Order: sequence, then C-alpha cells, then structure tokens
Amino acid sequence: MNCTLHLNGTETALGVDGKDMLLNVLRDEVGLTSVRGTCGIGLCGTCTVIVDGQTTASCILPVGLADGKEVTTIEGVPSDDPVKVAFEKANAFQCGYCTPGMILTARAFLDENPDPTDDEIAEALAGNICRCGCYVKIADAVRLAAGMLRDEKVAA
Amino acid sequence: MTGAATHWHAPRSLREALDLREDYGDETVVVAGGTFLGVLINNGVLAPEAMLSLRDVPELRRIEIGRELTLGAMVTHREVENHPEVRRLWPALAHMFSLVASPRIRNRATVGGVLADADYASDPPSMLAALGARVVLEGPRGRRELPVEDFILGLYETAIGSDELLTSVVVPGGHEAAVYRKFRTRSHEDRPCVSVAAARHSGRLRVVVGAAAMQPQFFPDVCGMGASPREIADEYAGRIDALSDARGSAEYRRRVVAVEVRRAIEETHHG
Repeated sequence: MNCTLHLNGTETALGVDGKDMLLNVLRDEVGLTSVRGTCGIGLCGTCTVIVDGQTTASCILPVGLADGKEVTTIEGVPSDDPVKVAFEKANAFQCGYCTPGMILTARAFLDENPDPTDDEIAEALAGNICRCGCYVKIADAVRLAAGMLRDEKVAA
Repeated sequence: MTGAATHWHAPRSLREALDLREDYGDETVVVAGGTFLGVLINNGVLAPEAMLSLRDVPELRRIEIGRELTLGAMVTHREVENHPEVRRLWPALAHMFSLVASPRIRNRATVGGVLADADYASDPPSMLAALGARVVLEGPRGRRELPVEDFILGLYETAIGSDELLTSVVVPGGHEAAVYRKFRTRSHEDRPCVSVAAARHSGRLRVVVGAAAMQPQFFPDVCGMGASPREIADEYAGRIDALSDARGSAEYRRRVVAVEVRRAIEETHHG
C-alpha cells in the first residue's frame, strides 16, 4: 500500500506492506535507527515514537495504522528542547540505548502534565526500561525539564 | 517484509466496514488498535493476507453517557481512563483501564479490541462482566447484545460471527459499589496473575475472576447465596479450574483467588 507519514515535519511517501511494523519501516526504509527494536511485544519502550501527540510502541504498530499520521522520532525533537537539554544536564543515561524512547515518553507526558508529582513521573516512565538502571537520574531529568518548560511558559 | 503484500481495507463508515466484513469474513483480519495483532505478527503466529482496519470508522469512536455508558469499539483504554465523566460515574472502570500495561499501550489498545481478542490475562473483561456490561454485535442479520460473560467462549474464542463486527460495549450505571483488584506476581508484570472485579447493583453482588482460567469466571449462584465474603471466596477458589503459567501455578492461583475475592467483596462494603 502507499502510505504517507508526516515524519518529523516532512511528508514522507512510502510503498509498504500495511502489516509491517512501523519500527521496521522507520529503520529499514527511512534509516531512522534511533528507533530501536528490543522486546517486540510493546513492553520495553526502546521503540517509542509519538504518533499524533501520543506515545506509541512502533514495534507492534502495523504501519497501515500510521498512514496519514504525524510521527515524531527523537530526530524530530530540536536539540535545544528542554527535555533533551535536561537529560544532558542530569546525565540521565549511561549507554544511551533507551534514551530516545525515554525522552519521547517524557516529552509527550509533560505536554499532558506540566507539573507532575514524583509518583506521576514514575508511573509515566514505568513502561520504559533502562538496563543500566539510571532511573533516579532519569526522574531527575524529567523534573528538571518540567521546571524548564514551566519557566519557558512564564517567559513567553 | 514477510511474504506477499497484505491487502489493506480502510473503510470510512460503519456501513462500509460491515459490508466488507460480510464480503470477506474471517479470512480478512480485523484490526483495531493493533497492539495484540502486532505481537502475533512479530511472533509469526499470524501472517494475514488481508486486513480490515477500523481506524477510520467514526461511528466506533463515540463515548455516550446516560443512565448507561456506551463505549464505541475503537475508544482507547486511555480515553476511558481520562474521561472526566467516566471517572466520576464509573470510577472502578476508569481505574481498571489505568492499570493496563503502560500509557504507550493504552494510547492504542481499544475497548472492542481487548474483548474481541479474549486473552485470558487481559484486565477489562472481568471488570466489564462484573458491571453487567453487554457487547454489541452488528452484522447482516442486524444488531444483537450479549453479556460479556456469554460473549467470551474460551481462550481467544468469542461469539462474534464471521460476518459480524463488535461495534460497542454498553455498561449499566448506578452501582452502589464497584472494585477492581489486580494481583501481580512480579512488580514488572503488566498482566495480572489473578484479577477480581466485584460490583453491587440494586443490592445484588457480581464477582468475576479474571486471568485465573481460560475465560472470566462468574458464579451467580454463589454470589446470590447471601454468604460471608470468606465463604463466597472459598467457593470461588474451589470451583475455578485454574490454569498454570509463568505468573503462577494452578494451586497458587486458587489460594490467591480465595484471598483476593474475599478482599474485593469486603471492599464493596466499605465503598
């Protein structure tokens, strides 16, 4: 089928099999290898992308269901985005493998909940696994990003 | 890429979707949110030659609130969980949906999809059955409604005809109390080892146990015998033909059922 993704702000037309997973299309057809396949059952979070504003496990999303949608990967998040900056400032990673999924999850979460409690942060990130175990710093980064985003709003 | 390209049907109205379903039947796999089918395709369990996507059927996305709650088949778990009126009037239902997997999955997984999958370890069937919910099926012979407990026939088996679509779920309102207890054997588990949903409506108790056997377990005669929570719980534990899997053995599950059913019924007394 012909499938059009509004991918990181660019209209991207692809010839795909609708039952292939969005993850494989992004990696193999488009070359976006920041989107990582690990568990293949939507459990670990490394394949997280944002589809129409909502986090989605791209490893179990048949690409036919993404046709016509806005898809954002980490490449679509500007380098001065407060969430990216906060992850760097807080050193919220070791190997970096889970980081794109973590940042995208935090990004969508803070859009919904700009002033979260620690419990809400833990709940929002519970579906993203970090095998290095950087959870404490990741939570720090989300708190830091929340503050930066609120300051941005006040300044604007 | 796996094999020949899938024929992808994407109807834009319920009429069109029902016509396609009637024409193609079970050879065309119906896809709602895709979260379960994605797993099956990744594992090679399923390699559909054709798929019928309900994504663009607006009639299936409605949430209607009156004396009863109507959830269209394509309403996502997240929409139920976050809907202010659903949270106010059906708090146990909204809470139960908030406990499914992660937000990433709940953004996609649908109310109709989880029922049509009939996976024994899913959360929603037991809660919906305890609330007395009915599944609405539509097809060429018209529309029919089935209680959730009669709709799920076994593991991955439902009463949906090969020319029918599950279009909505209707949940009665006005419960005096409703409780959902999800028992996990590991903190990282998304799925319950045993789930217990209990609800009281017009003084009548309905207790439904999920994830312990191949389909939701409901014993109306036990619920109606006016016994103590402990007696009802022991009777459930004795009657359920529990299964064994990575989340617990049959023997373990029966012991958990005895405790969790008692606690759920006690909670319905305390609001």
